[in-house]
Amino acid sequence: MMSTSSLKTALYSLQRRDWGYLGEFRAMASPCEILIACDQLDIADDMLDMAVTEALRIEHKYSRFIAQNCLWQLNHANGHKQLIDEETWQLLAFAKQCFQLSDGLFDISAGPLMELWRFDPKAQLPEHARILAAKALVGFERIEFDSRHIEMPTGMKLDFGGVAKEYAVDRVAYELAECYPDIPVLVNFGGDIACPVPKVNPWQVGIEDPQHLDHAANVLAISQGALATSGDTRRFFEVDGKRYGHIVDPRTGYPVVQAPRSVTVLGPNCVTAGMLATMAMLQGQGAEDFLQQQDVKFSIFR
Amino acid sequence: MTQKNNQINARQSKQIAGALALASCGLFATSGHATELSKKADDWKVDAALMYYGEQDRVQAVEAIGTAQKAFGDDSVLDLKLVVDSLTGASASGAVAQSSSQTFTRPSGNGQYSVAAGDTPLDDTFHDTRVQANVGWSEVLTPDWKLNVGAYGSKEFDYMSMGLNASIERGFNKDNTTLFLGTAYSFDVVDPVGGRPVDLSSMAVRDNFASEEAYRSAFDATRQSGSDNKQTADVMLGITQVLSQRWLLQANYGLSSVNGYLTDPYKVLSVVDNNGITQDLLYESRPDSRLKHSFYVMTKGALDAGVVDFSYRYNTDDWDLKSHTLETHYRYYFTGNFYGQLHLRYYQQTAANFYQPFLMADTPLPEFASADYRIGDMSAYTIGIKFGHRLSGGHEMSYRLEYYQQDPKNNGTTIPGELQNFDLFPTQKAITAQFSYSF
Repeated sequence: MMSTSSLKTALYSLQRRDWGYLGEFRAMASPCEILIACDQLDIADDMLDMAVTEALRIEHKYSRFIAQNCLWQLNHANGHKQLIDEETWQLLAFAKQCFQLSDGLFDISAGPLMELWRFDPKAQLPEHARILAAKALVGFERIEFDSRHIEMPTGMKLDFGGVAKEYAVDRVAYELAECYPDIPVLVNFGGDIACPVPKVNPWQVGIEDPQHLDHAANVLAISQGALATSGDTRRFFEVDGKRYGHIVDPRTGYPVVQAPRSVTVLGPNCVTAGMLATMAMLQGQGAEDFLQQQDVKFSIFR
Repeated sequence: MTQKNNQINARQSKQIAGALALASCGLFATSGHATELSKKADDWKVDAALMYYGEQDRVQAVEAIGTAQKAFGDDSVLDLKLVVDSLTGASASGAVAQSSSQTFTRPSGNGQYSVAAGDTPLDDTFHDTRVQANVGWSEVLTPDWKLNVGAYGSKEFDYMSMGLNASIERGFNKDNTTLFLGTAYSFDVVDPVGGRPVDLSSMAVRDNFASEEAYRSAFDATRQSGSDNKQTADVMLGITQVLSQRWLLQANYGLSSVNGYLTDPYKVLSVVDNNGITQDLLYESRPDSRLKHSFYVMTKGALDAGVVDFSYRYNTDDWDLKSHTLETHYRYYFTGNFYGQLHLRYYQQTAANFYQPFLMADTPLPEFASADYRIGDMSAYTIGIKFGHRLSGGHEMSYRLEYYQQDPKNNGTTIPGELQNFDLFPTQKAITAQFSYSF
């Protein structure tokens, strides 16, 4: 707790609303919001403080962009066995489940492939040889780990980017609900949302239509649960009339074709919803079928 | 890159949402903040410290402390501790100051020492080396139950102590509440230099005897042969409650029963007449049992850039000695690797029922009497600062400096005659300095 609070340099604000308090801050390259259905300023302030502390702790520990952090140590082990703590072990175990359940579509070791693809409208296709070279450094099945240690081949890199933000949302939601089990709260980190405590008048959550970003296309009422969105319309490019979206299939090294523009899924918690949304995206044309089979509420824009 | 390739196996696909929800549960099973990687749990963690304690004009001590800790897996921890200290200097004997110089027999009976007029009598033969070793083992039995066992032994020239302890802890309510039950037993052997004095016997002083032989037989008459022992049994009950994300509260009750030789063989009492002139010196006498109760509450909080704790302790026993201790530590992190800490402590005690600063010649001797200022009325305070650095590679260095002042007070005794000219309850000041390194 001590080491993270010194990182709390980020500004955050707390504003009174007629339904309670709105806390806002930035973390994980996203605008973050905590909606607190409570009139007491000291409680709201404490809840926001907990949320900021926990979000920044996770960001600092697992961000790819911070030298010397926990993830950096793992990615610079040069093939040596490394010690891991329980939290990292749990994340790896979850990532392994996702890897297996998706038949290798979701792979947190896919970083070297992702780096080849620059998703802006003027980008070029990477050379096939470079894609093959990068693929040689990808493959979660080659990572050995148990509850205390991890060992992976030199050059391989982990990237928790596909799960860290959802994980942070859930952790914050979980901690707030532990501490304040009677206060409904909505945790929203850049569109990934969790509402851990049931609310009598459900939260109204707007889902953006990627083609009409200014207004919400769809409003969902959530009393308790989580939702997550995969997809970003600004991150694509077209070559020969073929649209390449931002989701890369680690098995082929190429972006998934005919992937939806965005997929939003409701789930019991944010990591589950987020993973279902990502997996649906990776199905390309089959996204709707996949989600229908899962018996979950979802919304897809193409 | 065919579309078929992208499809997740249809048979498996239906179970994915449920399987993911199940897999995600592990992510939230660990409460609180997981530890960072820097600590290598499999290695020995070793701390070394050197401490100096110096009382003004009295006892000086140098102590070397080494501790080592090693974890075996997630569930077992071994703790080892070795302390070696060396004491020199003088300690108040219990006798009162006089307007003429006084001569005392050394505890061994071999030789004597003089104290100048007006000075508080100090026994200057106080020097000893002590070695103490502790070993402890803690074992997580189930996620809710934890067992600790330990043993220790210490040896100095005239004293030996051995002990065993065991405790269990039980977590409730997701470990937000921990109950603690502990017990300890120790066995001490007291073998004072020159033998144990006979309770309230009169100190034989060579100057009052015509021959060495006559003195020796008088001295021997004040001594009992052989060593004696002391046994202590303790029971402690405690609760730790997490109050919020940042605060926790701890409360303990301890019961301690001590039996055996509890007298300090080196302490004496002056017997004075109505003018305050010393007539005789008697070795002190204390009861052979003591039942102590201790109550303790402490709250500890995490601040934005620091840690603070406040505690209060109340001790009482069947010697009627009661004490109150208020204490606080405030630690502030200037950066993630550098902290400063302030320590304040206030202590107040009321005297044991047999404490007397001196005995009156015209009053019958009580069964028990001691003029040891340590069981008299007193207040004391400590002010300390500490700085700590975390160095690269997980090493840590800290320095501590503390000032301690003890103000003994009169427990209501009327001071006769010339004794009024002296400070019978002198203030005592001490400095502690410590340097520690952990690696």
